[in-house]
Amino acid sequence: MLISVLVLGLAIAAHAVDWSAPEHELAHKIVALTGNAAISLSFENRSSLGRRDAEIIQNGLRGSLVAMGVQFVQNDPAAAKVVISFSENVTSYVWVAQVQKTGSDTAVVMVQVPRAASIRSARESVPINLRKVLLWSQAEQILDVAVLEENVRVAVLSPEKVFVYRIRGGNPALEGAAEISHSTPWPRDLRGRIVPAGDHMLDVYLPGIACHSSAGGAFILNCREENDPWPLIFASSGGAGTSSQVMAQAFFEASRNFFTGVETPPGGWLKIVPQFYSAALIPRDGDALWLFASVNGSIHIVDGAADRVTNLKWGSDLTSLRTSCGAGWQVLATSPVEDGSDSVRAYEVPERDPVAVSAAVDFSGPISALWAEAKGDSAVAIARNPETGNYEAFRLAVACGQ
Amino acid sequence: MKLFAWQWLAASSLLLAAVVASGETRPRYGGTLRIEMRAALSSLDPADRNVPDSFGRRNVTALIFDTLVTFDDTAHIKPALAESWQAAGQELRLHIRHDVKFHDGTSLTAETVAASLRFANPSWKVMAEPDSVTIQGDFSEEELLAQLTLSRNAIVKRDAGKVSGTGPFHIVDWQSGSRLTLAAEDNCWRGRPFLDSIAVEMGKSYHDQMTSLQLGRVDLIEVSPEQVRRISQEGRGIASSMPIELVALVFAREALSPEEQALRSALALSVDRTAIRDVLLQGAGEAAGSILPIWMSGYGFVFSSGVDLSKARQLRGQAATIPNWRLGYDTGDPLDRLLAERIALNAHDAGLALQTTSSPSPDLWIAHLPLEGDAWNSLGKLADQMGVPLTKRHGSLEELYAAEQAILKSGRIIPLLHLPASYVASPGLRNWRVRSEGTVSLDDAWLESARQ
Amino acid sequence: MTFRRKLLIVFALTVFLSVAGVALAVLALTRNAFEKSEDEQTTALVTQFQREFEHRGGDVAQRVERIAGLDLVLRMAAAGHTTSADSASYLDLAHSIAESWQLDFLEFLDEDGKIISSAQSPAKFGYPDPAFESLSRLNQQPAFLKLEELQDSNALGLFAVRATRVGDHPVYVVGGRRLDRNFLSALDLPPGMRVLLYENRTERFSAESLLDPGSGRNGTHSADKLAALVNAVQHSDKEMTGVVKWSPDPADEEVFHAIPLRGAGQDRALLGILLIGNSRAAYAELKQRIRDSALLVGGAGIVLAILLSSWAAGRVTRPVERLAHAAQEVAGGNWSSQVEVSGRDEIGQLADSFNRMTAELLAQKERLVQTERVAAWRELARRLAHELKNPLFPLQLTVENLVRARTHNPEQFEEVFRESSSTLLAEISNLKAIIQRFSEFSRMPQPQLQRVKISEIVSAVVQLFQAQLKSSGRAAITCKLDLDESLEPVEADPELLHRAVSNLVLNAMDSMPNGGTLTLRTRREERKAVIEVADTGSGMTREECERIFTPYYTSKQHGTGLGLAIVQSVVSDHGGRICVRSEPGRGSTFVIELPFERH
Repeated sequence: MLISVLVLGLAIAAHAVDWSAPEHELAHKIVALTGNAAISLSFENRSSLGRRDAEIIQNGLRGSLVAMGVQFVQNDPAAAKVVISFSENVTSYVWVAQVQKTGSDTAVVMVQVPRAASIRSARESVPINLRKVLLWSQAEQILDVAVLEENVRVAVLSPEKVFVYRIRGGNPALEGAAEISHSTPWPRDLRGRIVPAGDHMLDVYLPGIACHSSAGGAFILNCREENDPWPLIFASSGGAGTSSQVMAQAFFEASRNFFTGVETPPGGWLKIVPQFYSAALIPRDGDALWLFASVNGSIHIVDGAADRVTNLKWGSDLTSLRTSCGAGWQVLATSPVEDGSDSVRAYEVPERDPVAVSAAVDFSGPISALWAEAKGDSAVAIARNPETGNYEAFRLAVACGQ
Repeated sequence: MKLFAWQWLAASSLLLAAVVASGETRPRYGGTLRIEMRAALSSLDPADRNVPDSFGRRNVTALIFDTLVTFDDTAHIKPALAESWQAAGQELRLHIRHDVKFHDGTSLTAETVAASLRFANPSWKVMAEPDSVTIQGDFSEEELLAQLTLSRNAIVKRDAGKVSGTGPFHIVDWQSGSRLTLAAEDNCWRGRPFLDSIAVEMGKSYHDQMTSLQLGRVDLIEVSPEQVRRISQEGRGIASSMPIELVALVFAREALSPEEQALRSALALSVDRTAIRDVLLQGAGEAAGSILPIWMSGYGFVFSSGVDLSKARQLRGQAATIPNWRLGYDTGDPLDRLLAERIALNAHDAGLALQTTSSPSPDLWIAHLPLEGDAWNSLGKLADQMGVPLTKRHGSLEELYAAEQAILKSGRIIPLLHLPASYVASPGLRNWRVRSEGTVSLDDAWLESARQ
Repeated sequence: MTFRRKLLIVFALTVFLSVAGVALAVLALTRNAFEKSEDEQTTALVTQFQREFEHRGGDVAQRVERIAGLDLVLRMAAAGHTTSADSASYLDLAHSIAESWQLDFLEFLDEDGKIISSAQSPAKFGYPDPAFESLSRLNQQPAFLKLEELQDSNALGLFAVRATRVGDHPVYVVGGRRLDRNFLSALDLPPGMRVLLYENRTERFSAESLLDPGSGRNGTHSADKLAALVNAVQHSDKEMTGVVKWSPDPADEEVFHAIPLRGAGQDRALLGILLIGNSRAAYAELKQRIRDSALLVGGAGIVLAILLSSWAAGRVTRPVERLAHAAQEVAGGNWSSQVEVSGRDEIGQLADSFNRMTAELLAQKERLVQTERVAAWRELARRLAHELKNPLFPLQLTVENLVRARTHNPEQFEEVFRESSSTLLAEISNLKAIIQRFSEFSRMPQPQLQRVKISEIVSAVVQLFQAQLKSSGRAAITCKLDLDESLEPVEADPELLHRAVSNLVLNAMDSMPNGGTLTLRTRREERKAVIEVADTGSGMTREECERIFTPYYTSKQHGTGLGLAIVQSVVSDHGGRICVRSEPGRGSTFVIELPFERH
């Protein structure tokens, strides 16, 4: 299921590929046609193989042919003419040898060499005041990641399953996995949340579904169909490791990809709420300032008195963190970058309009989720890396380091 | 001009990235996508053999129906309506996905799957068991799985002339040959699509489609390959597949004598494909000497696509009489007309007599043959069309090469070009892409203007 | 044919002939005048067309000149030899320039005559233009005609060539307009005029090669009618004029002026023939209108003539007709008929004579009637005298006998008195009976009609007389009955009919004192019932037959002469008639005919 796993800065060394088997196979096929006669040999690279790789393979092929007793000549009209082309198709490299013996038609032999899945190392950027750390990477889609115990246990939410990994010596080991049962198909642009719980391990929120893990023993998920509000914003009471409280939760439309309403516990409803993809909250004296990324693409700033539509060029994901830096509350918001990837930046709202308080942190692909972590002072951003095709989960933490 | 297949792939995926992956906002639900297409389908049934194959037809089929298995981007089989499968001897058992419903509300059962497959392949032996279907026959697992990806084998519930599928959209209104209205299927097993509905206008020429797009009457259109360069220079959102459509000269019958065969070879050698590609097609596609494009087979360059007038004249000189061939083409397609005229000029250079004609029964004609996403499927289909018996329908690359050589040796077909299928969308259409086999993926597409 | 009708025809014919003569004369005069003006108009139109054609040529040359000066073309010339990438960018160039400059043909040729870009044959890029030699010579020349080879056909066009030269590399711009329907229909032509183009592709005339901007298709089925003119021009190579009759209708006649079109090459080949047609429809319409007016005037004249002549004929013939009518009446028996006499002309005199003639006839008739009545009265008086004289004579004798007996033999008086009084009584009663019979005849009752079967009545009569026929006092009479029992009933008074038949039977019996055969017959004859009573008695002469039904006429010694008169009276009261066939010595047959239906 998991194709590749990278945890917290793990790097994979470049690999060397062994081409000897296909080299030998092709040489064998050529000799079967030409016998031990002298041949004139030429090469052509029509593939995406690098020059160095091509040369390695050419040498290997020459070696194999010589080993089979073939002699190479140049400009001898009597000799068989062999042209070897390195080509490729969707799945593999294709090495084609066209053998022209005097007085007969060109014969064609070929071998197919599966192309190894390209694996590249993950990038890590160094933030200035927004720190971006890779938490998890996998080929299967990631909806959310929750760090259950710092550097020890991590839970990954995929569309159909929740995985819990324990990290030993930098290597992850699967500790438990549970399937999420649901009777109706997931909507497109599936979103989900996974949140560590106080009394049991974790809670999972998906469209129309809420799951709770068992309190102890083996990792089991109890899921039921209900529209519980999803926790959006948390506020830690201060101090590391202490518990935090949910500042705002929101109701998710079960068959779509947006929220329909927010709730600020205990029980207070905010009436003027557009349909929104994400929301950020900044508590003010006895009141709160809300920022909504509405479904029509605009950002609404709502306080007790007004609902303002701004012309901010933000993306549709934002959240707010309670930190010990700056004004205490920062809004993290995604913005599109020209090449199709996204960036995240931190903002504060001193008066009416948001002011950037950090440099933009770039991601290699579009961000599909930006959730505040349960501690309340950091967020998880999920992005798909277009180069590897893998989904990557990053932690975004605010460091007051100017 | 030398363009490596993999670079092609990379280039086109970059192009896709530019169009598709701009993640500044989440996909929006709602809206009606308006599409125009050239093909005028007389039936929506993917197994209806009276409807000619076209990318337009495949696009429509993919919106309404699902196959048991599909190819992923790396040409590997992946599950669709079949969750898993096992092969044993001459048998392939496919386990049918649970909880999938047809648009008419009935559940997908092994019986309906078996009935659908039998309808599309009368020669197959398909048996239904409670949760699986078993297909027996003289074919390998790979061959059968590859065949199951074909849109003709999409699972269809046929009920008194009406068809029902399991795809993301269901049929709301269908006016044969002209108009199709689809609506999102809320309970689609792959998830409800973002679009609320899709309105398809059929039988529109490339020119009409472009006009509609410029007037803002349509969101997604097909583009003639020779227009691709101009349109991308205009900065419109254009996306092309890999070169997947084979343009070839197809003879009405097989060559009856070696002399006739030699004349056909002379014709193949006289056509200056590079000039046609560079000028008439404005650089789109690839000159082709092979049936399968290089990106699909890897060896296509072995079949020469170059022009050799002296050899052509020599072959022609061996013939005692020169037949006056009549070359047919689609008179409604301006590009086809140019191609026919150029080929006639080229043939004349080699001393061959080739007359363009709009008559319905020419000696040979310019055929546009949409290939399948898979090499063996493409060859198999073409061999059936040409009436060339294939000894194998799946196997190693060398066997593929042998099969392709056999079809070319029949003399029925002279490959000319491989063309990509290209599409242009209005800027408001997001997250759409063109699959390598020439169809548009609209499963996750959404409209910026949609109101949720 | 009546006199009046004859008169009428003579009048009408005279008027018609004179009107028709005038109309024909007007027609002939107008035709001559129009034909002359038609010829003049055609000449003017041909001149106008030639100017228009030249103007088009100048227009083409001007456009090609301006295209040659375009920046794009200058850049093309500056670029020199073209690569395939250039060809790609030039592919649509000629086409789009041709479209915006409204040219049908446009080609850019390089210095070697190779096609850089072609609007009409875009696929020919890189191929040399076969006509390059002559084209390069025509640079800067006025527009010329050229046959352009297209993919599947040839097209005739009006071309011009201009070269653009940057450095050593000229680019030839060859542009033209197609001589096709659009070209022809765009020509500014007066109404009634049209231009056809015959493309000279084959030796012989072919309807396919004829372009008609009006018909919307090449040639028409009757295009062959132009063949003679076209062939003549092909052979003579000169302008010619001819009239083409498209149909028997003169409105479809068209005058064609044919102009040969020659190419620009050295051979000046005949590429086509322009056919300038001038419809004679307007002329035919005018002719028709004159004819229509002539017909209208003639028709109206004839109607008027008929009305007038019928009035005149009426005036002339009415007295004659009246005379004829009166004569017919006189012939029919109405002798009192008179004719109104008007005027003193011949007709008036004729009428007067007629009136006098009828008056005379009437007077004569009255005199005749008077004479007859006197005769009848005389006959009646004679009969009455005869009837009454017979009983009176015995009466006188008896009374004288009594008187004599009183005087001479008073003792025998009582006896004589007794005998005489009985004789007196007997004679008086005889007188009374005579008077009774005359009285009865005067009192013939009106018949009370009902449906009766006449055969039954005849049977009843025979039954009544059966005894008398066989009585011993006389010679036996055989009675034969031949009755049609199926005869339908007739409307009749059974009593009167019975009496009539009885009278006839009595009459027959009287005529056969020596016995004979009495035959009674009933039958149907057309719409009448017929009763025949035939005897084999003495018969009657022709004169007797004529007088037999006259009252008081009798051939018998003791008859009153009223029996047959009563029969005739009854039969005529029933709407029937009676007649008799008789010859002396052969018996008589009385025939009564009674209608089944009375009107």
